[in-house]
Amino acid sequence: MSNKRKIVRSLPVLALIFAIALAGCAQKPSSGESSAAGGASPAAAVSSASPSAESGNTPQGGELSYALATSPDQLDPHRSGYAVAVRVIRTIHDSLVAQAPDGSIHPWLATEWEASPDGKSYTFKLRQDVKFHDGTPFNAEAVKYNYDRILNPETKAANSQSLIYPYESAEVLDEYTVKLNLKTPSSAFLGNLSQALVSIVSPTAAEKYGDQLTKNPVGSGPFKFVSWEENSQIVVERNPDYNWGPDSLVDNTGAPYLDKIAFKIVPEEATRIGSVQSGQILAGETVPPQNIASLANDAKLQIFKSNTQGLPFTLFINQKREPWGDTKLRQALQAAIDVGSIVKTLYLGTYDQAWSPLTPGTLGYDASLENANKFDQNKANALFDELGWLKGDDGIRAKDGKKLTLRYVDGSPNREKRNDIAAIVQQQLKQVGIAVEVEITQDFRTVIFEQGNYDIYGNSQVNSDPEALRNFYHSGAKSIAASQNLPGYANAEVDALLDAGLVEQDPAKREDIYKQIQQIIIRDAVIIPIYVFPYTVAASKTVEALKFDSLAYPLFNDVYLGK
Amino acid sequence: MLRTAGLRLLTSLLVIFGSLVLVFSIVYVLPGDPIRSIVDPTTVSEETLASLRAELGLDRPFYARFADYIGSMLRGDFGKSLLNDEPVLPKILKHLPATLALTAASSLFAAMVGIWLGVLSAIHRDRWIDSAARVIGLFGISMPTFWSGILLILIFSITLGWFPAMGSDGWKTLVLPAIGLGIVGAGYVVRLVRNSMLEVINEQFVLTLRAKGVSERLVMYRHALRNALIPALTMIGVLSGELLAGTVVIETVFARQGIGRIISDALMAKDIPVVQGVIFFSAVMYVLINLLVDLSYRVIDPRVRRLQ
Repeated sequence: MSNKRKIVRSLPVLALIFAIALAGCAQKPSSGESSAAGGASPAAAVSSASPSAESGNTPQGGELSYALATSPDQLDPHRSGYAVAVRVIRTIHDSLVAQAPDGSIHPWLATEWEASPDGKSYTFKLRQDVKFHDGTPFNAEAVKYNYDRILNPETKAANSQSLIYPYESAEVLDEYTVKLNLKTPSSAFLGNLSQALVSIVSPTAAEKYGDQLTKNPVGSGPFKFVSWEENSQIVVERNPDYNWGPDSLVDNTGAPYLDKIAFKIVPEEATRIGSVQSGQILAGETVPPQNIASLANDAKLQIFKSNTQGLPFTLFINQKREPWGDTKLRQALQAAIDVGSIVKTLYLGTYDQAWSPLTPGTLGYDASLENANKFDQNKANALFDELGWLKGDDGIRAKDGKKLTLRYVDGSPNREKRNDIAAIVQQQLKQVGIAVEVEITQDFRTVIFEQGNYDIYGNSQVNSDPEALRNFYHSGAKSIAASQNLPGYANAEVDALLDAGLVEQDPAKREDIYKQIQQIIIRDAVIIPIYVFPYTVAASKTVEALKFDSLAYPLFNDVYLGK
Repeated sequence: MLRTAGLRLLTSLLVIFGSLVLVFSIVYVLPGDPIRSIVDPTTVSEETLASLRAELGLDRPFYARFADYIGSMLRGDFGKSLLNDEPVLPKILKHLPATLALTAASSLFAAMVGIWLGVLSAIHRDRWIDSAARVIGLFGISMPTFWSGILLILIFSITLGWFPAMGSDGWKTLVLPAIGLGIVGAGYVVRLVRNSMLEVINEQFVLTLRAKGVSERLVMYRHALRNALIPALTMIGVLSGELLAGTVVIETVFARQGIGRIISDALMAKDIPVVQGVIFFSAVMYVLINLLVDLSYRVIDPRVRRLQ
């Protein structure tokens, strides 16, 4: 009997041994390609400080493992449309100019620039000491090549096309001077050039790789591309020649301190954060709110947080569908939704409530709107009654035999708990007598952009300039698919202000214009702003000096691994 | 023997073809425009959308696209990813080994643990070991893999620090996902093995063996288990499909490379050529495993041979 038991008991152990042996055999082909990348070590090994430390005692070397929440779609900056790709693209590519967190524009690959008096062209003087990772020199021709490449339909450029708008052509004045001509004046143009999606790629590499540049990106940035193992990791290594970092954004303008960054792709948030907690990796992005509080008490970990700029997560009320074209009705709706409690309940104090169509930090943000339009259920009820929408026996308001219903559409998967917002809004509006029908669909693009079948749809946009408002609130927003103006808003005053803001060259006057726009949009209850999305990173305490640019994308130039 | 094998092969090919037709039509009637999920419709003009549609052949009728697809597939060309122009076939071949390793390891885990618990359960029928094994089996079947996966990470990675929580480099990263996925299979195997063991134990030949004084160990493991395992073999064929499907979830939870991860990403992005490619390969693998299982009856069970 005892013998039998032994055998039976050892079966699972045997199973494990078999599994392990199998893994050993089968693993080789899948990870074989990474050998050049040296991606085998899962945790960061801090190598001893190299003697060539440029800036005093900052420890050199080491590999930073940094978990991304989703896989980048492309590493070709001009073809990508994903924020997650920008985190990697930014390490490999530089831009012509840099935008500081206060919105001001500073030199990067361009040392100085001048706008023509009519605002229709910009002349840039370029740095003369910059080389791409493949040895190609950076010059005026390279700048022209890049921006023309974005316009070329064969490139299949994505977001970069709208970022570079209204760029028309470039003239090479001499080796290091380039003039960019615009179709129409645009005060947003210069700031947009700072974005990673319109950064400069090596023209030689772009010609050589064509549509496969996405797998072989070559820029002039602080890190060089090494390898991309799909659904596993993207590795970049230190560019030892780097000497042109933007001093408005980072302290270390020379070569970075880290030897390597391994961007791991870990979609499941519990796994991503768990890997940081267990020490398997050093940092992981997008920390769920419930973890932020608990991780803050962990002696070995720290949380980095940076608010994104542009448009906060906003509920757009579709005025094209009755009865929501009525401004007073929307104002009642505005008073009936308790945004403060939504944000507190779902994000546990880790996200800030939004009050304006713009986020704090974006040029022209109007702080006077904060706490201005508060939740007031009595006011909402009074307004609904006044408009003739009266509660029936079922508790739902009706007018002329029509029930007051609202169709709330949201996308799936449940990004940033947006589906939960829909559920809470549904509850809150039920209290004032509105029947909310929530549709959560993966195919929201068809429902929203093709059919326009929504009363409320929420969206946000990370952007460097308040000109971003045009696509959402200008009645003629149509360079763009017809239904992009999500609230279906047509206000001649706002149109005129947006057009004025685009060409105004005096920053103070521009700010004033955008403040007026924000006031009008909130006054007309065009939208209900909900929250400002913070980019969060959970990291080991050994990760030092992680910084963020004005759009909350991480900058690794200063990062070093301490004890 | 050869004739039946040939016949089975032919029906297998039909099954694969059928799955292709099915996938092709499902993707075709699915709501939504794949173009709109590749490019941001808010920044690209209608003309660009139309030209992209034409370039990808999405404006052509169903049968023409299907015929084209089969044609180029036979030449080894599965098309390019809509997302980043990567050829589909190399992409799948690159990730297939990781998924095969995971499926094999979890099948082994399921078979070993399942058989072990099933036998224990049958031998100790209606005692506490039996109840415990049956509860474990039920637990394995009912637990969703994403939940058990996260639980494994919490215990063995974060708390104990024995195994890494993510990745697909090295045997250590295979342990937790293989267990997470294998638990489900083990649950089925426990119940099956228990039942068929109980049946076999009550058969005449077991009584004869015992009467002849053969040791209990030999009776159980040499004779009873061998007979009880035949239905379990069928189960393994069916389970392989279950496990293959399970990789979709488990590979995402453990951030592993593999075709399960590829298809879930591709589905989200409506990357049709990739979806079709992965489904084709999964169908081939499933059919192949079951073909092998069918053929192996003849080798294992002399009665089947005699029947034919």
